[in-house]
Formats: sequence, structure tokens, C-alpha cells
Amino acid sequence: MAETPLYVGIDLGTTNSAAAVFDGERVSVVRNAQGATVTPSVVRIDKQGRITVGTRARRFIEQDPANTAAEFKRLMGTERAIEFPASGAKKKPEELSAEVLKALRQDIADQLGVEIERAVISVPALFELPQSAATSEAARLAGFQRVELLQEPIASALAAGWRADGDGAGTWLVFDLGGGTFDASLLETRDGLLRVVGHDGDNFLGGRDFDWAITEHLASQLAVVPSRKNPDHASALRALRLAAEDAKIELSRGDRAQVTLAQPLVIDGQDVEVDLELTRATVERLCTPLVDRAIEVCVRLLQSTGLGPGKLARVVLVGGPTVMPIVRQRVAARLETTIAEGHDPMTLVAQGAAIYAATAGLDGRAAHQSQTPGRQVWLQYPAVSSDLTPHVVGKFVGQSDEGAPAKVKLVRSDGGWSSPEATVAPDGTFLTTVTLLARRACTFEIEAYTTTGDRVPVSPSQITIVQGLTIGDPPLSRTLGVALANGHVQVYLERGAPLPARRTFTHHTVETIARGSSESVLRIPIVQGEMSQAHLCRLVGTLDIGGDVVKDTVPTGSPVEVTIELDRGGRLAARALVPIIGQVFEHVAHLLVPDAAPEALDSAIRDLRRQLMDLRTDAFRHGLTQVIEKLDRLEARLSEAERDIDAAHGGDADAAQRARRALLDVDATMADADLARKWPELEAASRQTAIGASSTVGLHGTEAERALLQEVLAAMDQARRDKDAPELERQMRLAQRLSSAAFNRTTEAWEWYFEDAASEMSRARDLPRAQRLVNDGKAAIDRGDTEELRRVVKALWNLLPEDSEARKRGFDSGVR
Amino acid sequence: MIHIVDNPFLVLGISPDATRIEIEREAQKLLGMLELGFEAAKTYATPLGPRTRSSEAVRAAVAALRDPYQRLVAELWARHAPAATLAASHAEPVDELTATPGTRRALGWRP
Repeated sequence: MAETPLYVGIDLGTTNSAAAVFDGERVSVVRNAQGATVTPSVVRIDKQGRITVGTRARRFIEQDPANTAAEFKRLMGTERAIEFPASGAKKKPEELSAEVLKALRQDIADQLGVEIERAVISVPALFELPQSAATSEAARLAGFQRVELLQEPIASALAAGWRADGDGAGTWLVFDLGGGTFDASLLETRDGLLRVVGHDGDNFLGGRDFDWAITEHLASQLAVVPSRKNPDHASALRALRLAAEDAKIELSRGDRAQVTLAQPLVIDGQDVEVDLELTRATVERLCTPLVDRAIEVCVRLLQSTGLGPGKLARVVLVGGPTVMPIVRQRVAARLETTIAEGHDPMTLVAQGAAIYAATAGLDGRAAHQSQTPGRQVWLQYPAVSSDLTPHVVGKFVGQSDEGAPAKVKLVRSDGGWSSPEATVAPDGTFLTTVTLLARRACTFEIEAYTTTGDRVPVSPSQITIVQGLTIGDPPLSRTLGVALANGHVQVYLERGAPLPARRTFTHHTVETIARGSSESVLRIPIVQGEMSQAHLCRLVGTLDIGGDVVKDTVPTGSPVEVTIELDRGGRLAARALVPIIGQVFEHVAHLLVPDAAPEALDSAIRDLRRQLMDLRTDAFRHGLTQVIEKLDRLEARLSEAERDIDAAHGGDADAAQRARRALLDVDATMADADLARKWPELEAASRQTAIGASSTVGLHGTEAERALLQEVLAAMDQARRDKDAPELERQMRLAQRLSSAAFNRTTEAWEWYFEDAASEMSRARDLPRAQRLVNDGKAAIDRGDTEELRRVVKALWNLLPEDSEARKRGFDSGVR
Repeated sequence: MIHIVDNPFLVLGISPDATRIEIEREAQKLLGMLELGFEAAKTYATPLGPRTRSSEAVRAAVAALRDPYQRLVAELWARHAPAATLAASHAEPVDELTATPGTRRALGWRP
């Protein structure tokens, strides 16, 4: 007898964490020892080295902040260790997260009497790979055998969609404002299938920014104003912040709150009394810019998917800060839609993760394999299916005395339905279809018969399929690629690609790796981001091939086959094969979020300010109002980043990371603005591209290429009308690709490439070899041997050097 | 070529008219069959002869067809491409490239 499965979902949050279980029909939230549905993500280690987690640990934040850690999720994936001076312990962020996971695992065991070994853990949609890897590591440390990671917005959508009345069809937005991150996801439900249309967000915007805004307001009214820049003021600010947090919650209901501290604060050796009044209007005024920043993200997301305001069926609010009335009001008003009611914003993510565990067939009890006697059968079926009539595929394996099964029938346990008899093929395989009951968990008995009609016992003897909303493979949240020596990115996996995924490309080395030399290292930087220029993407890991590990010297221009692989949870593996020495390298180095030293941030922000000035002068001269508006917004973000950098100087690592992120965003946006400034140039270029592509594709293209070009040309027109520079660039690239494909089919194309490469021969790294290649090429042209010519041209390209500036921007990439 | 042999409809072995539910159902079946090593699932037919079907290809195909734009492109290729591209890949084009001077550079070819 099979037991009912138990699927577990965990929301490992910045401020609070929660766990939920799903049995196929009902989701229930797990309560902790204090009876609460959420557990604060706070860990304390005392003098004796004892570890406390949750509410009991949080009580010490004010009294003993040095030994009580909170918000370590924001440092996940960084190298920073958190110190607990009382016990002398030093813990990495993932080790602290592991403590929270252990506590939740224990709560599940206490409440349900089951040891959980597998679960789904949610992560922010915009988590970078190192952060995801650290989360997996935390789960491993907490004793989980296997976990899958799920993006938070998908989890909330799944949970909200699971309960939606009727078919719940339409497009909707998940507005997830957590303690530390903001995610906006646009989803569509159709035919019981949930699809992520797009998402956007801000990895560093959350409830704690609201708290800081209020704290700073309060601080400014004190007799001595504490500064975040000064490490000595940290404890005073912390006390003030906790008071601000309480006042904020109070003001979600009332109109006024009193901020009074029992003990005076000690700032610069002076006692400072705190007795202030805070009104709801003040809090709303302070928080509105932050709420608006989140709404801006939503608007941008809607625009990018071509959806106007008022086209949303509903918005699901997730996360503690969304309880604030100001958030609900502004979101509903600005996005012209209704807020979906009846969801618990604090546990929705955990609930969705639990439902997803079912979709992924990830039963929490790993060891649970009912060993019923009988003929062994391997089965493949969806654990959750939106389709009412999914397939069940099976294969009999091994031997048994009862005779070979020839027919198989599946009987639903409610007795209301049974499948037609499926014939078992000679290799033991069979294929059948079952009929499910809508929104129910259905159990089917597997009946197998021999040719003579005798029943054969099989193991397992039954399966359970849940009918309901499903989600396909989790999509990759950010494009992944390899930075090249020319500063560009070779995209391996596009954003939205279904996971797991694997891609291989062949690159060529741009310099020699000398055997035995530890100085000569070939670097393959792996980057994540949506930009085609490497320096605008984030470096998530490098694959280094050093001279000390190669069996033989690898000359310049040698092929390197790089394979990048991501599993369902977004964990990265990379492999480089160097065919000429037959060696495989797979050690991906320091998969870490880059360190953000305050000094580096200072110089970065100075650079950005200078660039911004230049752009502004230029935009004014050309009267580009749109660009000026964009630059104003950037200015505001820079000022914010400046405050964070101040805090970074005061020792706040988290603020430093946030500033680093903000500066990268500004840099990327500035590149866009720069593009807009070059609009007239771009527009002219796009017309030329259109003419060129029409003529080439018209002459040499296939019918399908011609049809596609028509679409691309229409899109280019649209982009020109919208003055959308990035989109126009994208479409131009498509048109160029189409015409290159058509042009490359001609012999003349390669002759032209050849002459072009030959003209630069003097710059080649290996002049004699280049000379030989040029001679080979000339001979090939005379013979009319296109294949040979193609080979020669490619070899020549490999000999030409890359620009060193470009290479620096490509994270010192050693491949092209 | 990529749209010819990797066309999602070919990978899944279904017609371009298939409904969303049919696509999901077929993909789920193929993934199950591949997992259990069904011979019938290991290859699929294309205009250029049979190709190996992997579970990655099936997942990529179904993901592509979930996206309305990508589905449109796939349908277009599935309906138009085979004959046209086959002809083109066999015969080297003979016409001279009559594009105006400078076009290639404008098209972004090297350098």
C-alpha cells in the first residue's frame, strides 16, 4: 500500500522563512515551536557556542548585535564570513542559512513526524548563479539529500493560481516585495499551464529600505545626528531602526505612533533621548519613492512585453511590506488593476514551493520506496498534470516466476474509470493513457496480465497523479554566456531557456599556454546578463587552464570546446575540452559575487558621474528630452548609491553589495542612453541594413528566409517609430544574421572575406603561417574550391590579434 | 538549417496545427519514453533524414512552442521550409551579387 506522498516547500527569506507541505490536494503551512507560521531568519551564537534560531534569536538583535546575525541571505554567494566574537565562531552566509533550514526541518519533523530529506527551496528570480549555488550548499549542510531551487515569483504564482476559481485564465502580475529584494513577474495561465511571460526586479530593494528611510528621518530629528558612515554610531542606529520597524507596523493600522526608547542612545559619548512622534502621512511620504521605484519596474516589465496598463487581470501581492496600505493603494492605482485577495503574503511562496515539489515529483521522504513483491516496473508519468488525459509510459525489468506480462491496465481507485488494455512490447515496454478527475489527486492500480489472462503482481502496484495547474521546466532568469577576448559575449543559454540545459561551442585560444609555466593561464570567463558587451554583464565564474596543468603546450588559435551546463536548480557546471592535448578541464573557479571594496566603489561612482555629465551636456545640445529624463533618473540612483557607499565605509557589507549592483545597473542604462543619443546615426544605419538585407536575401535567400526577413523589417519599422534603440539594434542584428546566412552560401562571400583578412596580414601573430595561408587561399580561389577557401579564411581570422582594451573589458578572456 | 532539422514540430513529431495541450502531452510522453529507452523515441524524421532525439531537444522544443512568437516562426518553417531550403542547399547559387557598393560593410561583415 503506497502512502500519500508528502511534498515540502521552503521559503528561505531575508527577514523571515517559512515551510509548507502539500499532500496532493491540500497545502498546509508548518508552524514552528512558538506556533507561528513564519520563523525569523536570525541566528545567534552565544559564548558557549550554542546556536539559537528564529524568534528567540531575534530578541537579541538589540541587546547583543555582535553575536546575532540577520539578513545574511543578502550576502549569500560572497566570501564574507560573519563573526560571532563571544564564541569566536566564524560562519559563512550559507552556514547560517543552513541553521535556519535545520530549524524548519525540525519543525516539520515535530509537526508531522516525518524526517524530510528532499524539498524545494525558493530563491529570488534575479539571484545570480553564485547565490543559487550557496543556497544549494546551505541545504546540503542542513542535511537535505536533494533539493530543487525555484524562483520565488513562480512559487507565488503557482500557489495563487492553484486556488484560482474557474480556469483563472489571463495575464497577471506577482508583486513580491520582500525584506531585501523586489521581484515583479508577469505570468499567463492558459489551458492549466502556467507560463512566465517575463520578469524583472531589483535585487536590492525591500522592506528594510523602508525601515532605513524611516530611521534616517528619525535620526535627523535627534539632538546629535548619528551617521551611517561612522562605525561607532552603528548600535544607536540599530536601536533606532528596530523602533522604526515597530512604528511602521503600527502605522499600517493607526494614524500616529510614538517612537520612544526606554534607554537614551549614546552618540559620541552623549546621552540622546528619543521621544518622537511619527505620523502615517510622514511614513507614506518617506516610502512613496521606494514604492514608486518598485512600480517603475512593473511598468517597464509591462512595456517590454507590450502590455498596456489596465490589461492585467490581477496583481498578487507577496511579502511583509505589501501589507502597508500605501503599497496596495499605489499599486492598484498605477497599474489600473485589482489586487487578488485571500492569499497570505507571508507564506504564499512556501506554499507554492510545496506544490512545485509535487510537479517535480520530489517526495520529501526519499527512502520511501514501497518494496511490494512482484515484477519490477519502471514508470514515467507526470506527478502533476494540467492535461486531463496524460500518458503513462512503462517498462518491465528483471525476471519473475509468474510469467511475462503481456497486457497492462490502469484502474482508478475510485472505481469510476479504467484504461483500455495496453499491449506490452517484446522489450517489456508499454504506453497507455489515463483519465484524471479535475483538481483531484487520483490513484491508479496497475494490473498486469499474461497472454493466458493470469494476473501478474507488479511493483510498484499503484501510482498517484494530481490534476491541476502545472508549470513547465523552470526558465533561466538571466542569459548566460562566455566573455570573449574582443569584449563581446558568446551567448550559451538565453534568458527563459528551459532548465536543465546544456550547450557547447568551440572557441579558439588567443594566446599560447606554455606547459609548465604557472604564469600562462588561459581564462574562460562565464558571465550572466542581458548585454552583448561583456563588461556590462556580471562575471559569475571563470574556468582557468593554467600552464602547470596542461600535458603539452597549447599554441595560439587552438580550438577549445566549452560546454556549459545548468541543472533544474540553476547550478552551473562548465567544462573545456582542448582536443589537441586531449584534456578536459572542469574546475570552475571562485563562483562568487565580486567583492565590493568601498574604495573601488568610490572610483567607480566618480567615473560614472563624469560620464553622466558628458551625456547630459550632449543631450542638452541636441535637445533630446527623453534622454535627459532618463539621465535624471540615473542621477537619483547614483545619489542613492552614494549613501550606500557611505554606509559601506562604515562597514556595512550588505550596503556595499547593493551599491555595486546599483552602479552596474546605472552603467548598463547609460549604455542604453548613449545608444539613444546616437539615434540619428543608428536610424540611418538601420535603413542601410534593411536595403542590404532585402537585396541579399532576395537574391540568395530561401523562401523561409524571405518570409522571416519581412517580419524583421516590419519590427524594425516599429522600433524606428517607437524610437526604441535597443530593440532596433536587436532587429538589425537579426536582419544581418539572415543576410549573412544567405550571403555565406555564395562563393563570392568567402573571396571577399579572404581579401579582407589577407589585407591585414601584416598584423598576424605568425607571419610565415599567415603567408602560407594567403598562398593557399589564392590557389583555392583559382581552383574554385570554396570549402578550402572557407578553411583558409577561418584559419587567418584566428591569427589576427584582438584589441587589448577590448580584452580587458572581456574579463581578460583568453578565447574567441 | 537549424530551423529545418531542429524544428520543434519535427522534434516532437506533431503537426503545426497541434494545440497547446497536445504539445505538452506529446512532450511528456516522449520524455518518458526516452527515459525508459524506447527505441521508437530515439530518432525523429526530418526532410534531411532521421536525427537523434534527446530529452534536451524535446524540452527545448516544447519551451519554444510555449512562446507565441517562437511558435509562429516554427510554424512558418514547418510549413514553408523543406522544399525551398533543400533546393538551395544542393545548388550553389550562380547569380552575381548585385548589391550596391558598400552594402556589405553596412551589413556589418568583417571588419
